[in-house]
Amino acid sequence: MTFIRRLAVVVLVVAIIVAGAVLWSHASGGGNAGQRVPAPQVVERLARIRKDGLVGRPDTGPHLSNTSDLIRTCMIEAALAAFVIAISAIRRGRRRVRRTA
Amino acid sequence: MHAGPATSPEQTPARDSGRRRILARTRFDFWLDALLLLAYTLAYSLGFTGIAVHEWLGVALGAVLLVHLTLHWDWVVRTTRKLLGRGGRDRLIWLVNLALLISMTLCILSGVLISEVALEQLGLRPPGGPFWNQMHGTTATITLILVPIHAALRWRWIAGVARQLVTTRRAR
Repeated sequence: MTFIRRLAVVVLVVAIIVAGAVLWSHASGGGNAGQRVPAPQVVERLARIRKDGLVGRPDTGPHLSNTSDLIRTCMIEAALAAFVIAISAIRRGRRRVRRTA
Repeated sequence: MHAGPATSPEQTPARDSGRRRILARTRFDFWLDALLLLAYTLAYSLGFTGIAVHEWLGVALGAVLLVHLTLHWDWVVRTTRKLLGRGGRDRLIWLVNLALLISMTLCILSGVLISEVALEQLGLRPPGGPFWNQMHGTTATITLILVPIHAALRWRWIAGVARQLVTTRRAR
């Protein structure tokens, strides 16, 4: 019961953020405005089709051979986490030295 | 000074079961958080997953994030109440978590609204538009910065639970 009550509160918080974003979109006049602008991936795909011709189905499946994207994401995450952990460890060490002094 | 109640033989099983429940919850939190991090990393790597997996992972991530936030809601309430009295670390963690909640919500919302495959498979036509495209790109970059910071600020808890899991497995 507690879980359901908390989940309802969380959904309400998320709904407030969503409502804020929708209002922002309307205020800036940048919602859909009746037109759909293709995403960069779609433009790139169309360009590829124009160049190579239509081959098979649209490119929607995983590309297990293309790991460079995944490696880049992992490296960014690891670098940022290592930075935060290093700072935290240094601060902790300093605090310990101050306490023992 | 209050020394606390003496432990009677009847109280020990109750205390053990309470401790076991806390341990089970800690383990559940650990694995759920690990799964979330893995799913987020995969979802961010669009070139690796392809658009369909990227979109479905994003939708699933949104649902699991609601559970993640619900499970830690007591921390949110406790820290928000104590925020004015406390300084430093908890305030930083609270601010990072709030920023991550907002950016992740906006990222998933804008992702749904510019969806090309997932919603069309459900027979829905998302509105799209340059506003949501731009928002998706910006919030995705912000979440990529905030997610590792969010995890790293709890590195002592992560290391502690991981150590506990390894020693428990070895003891078996």
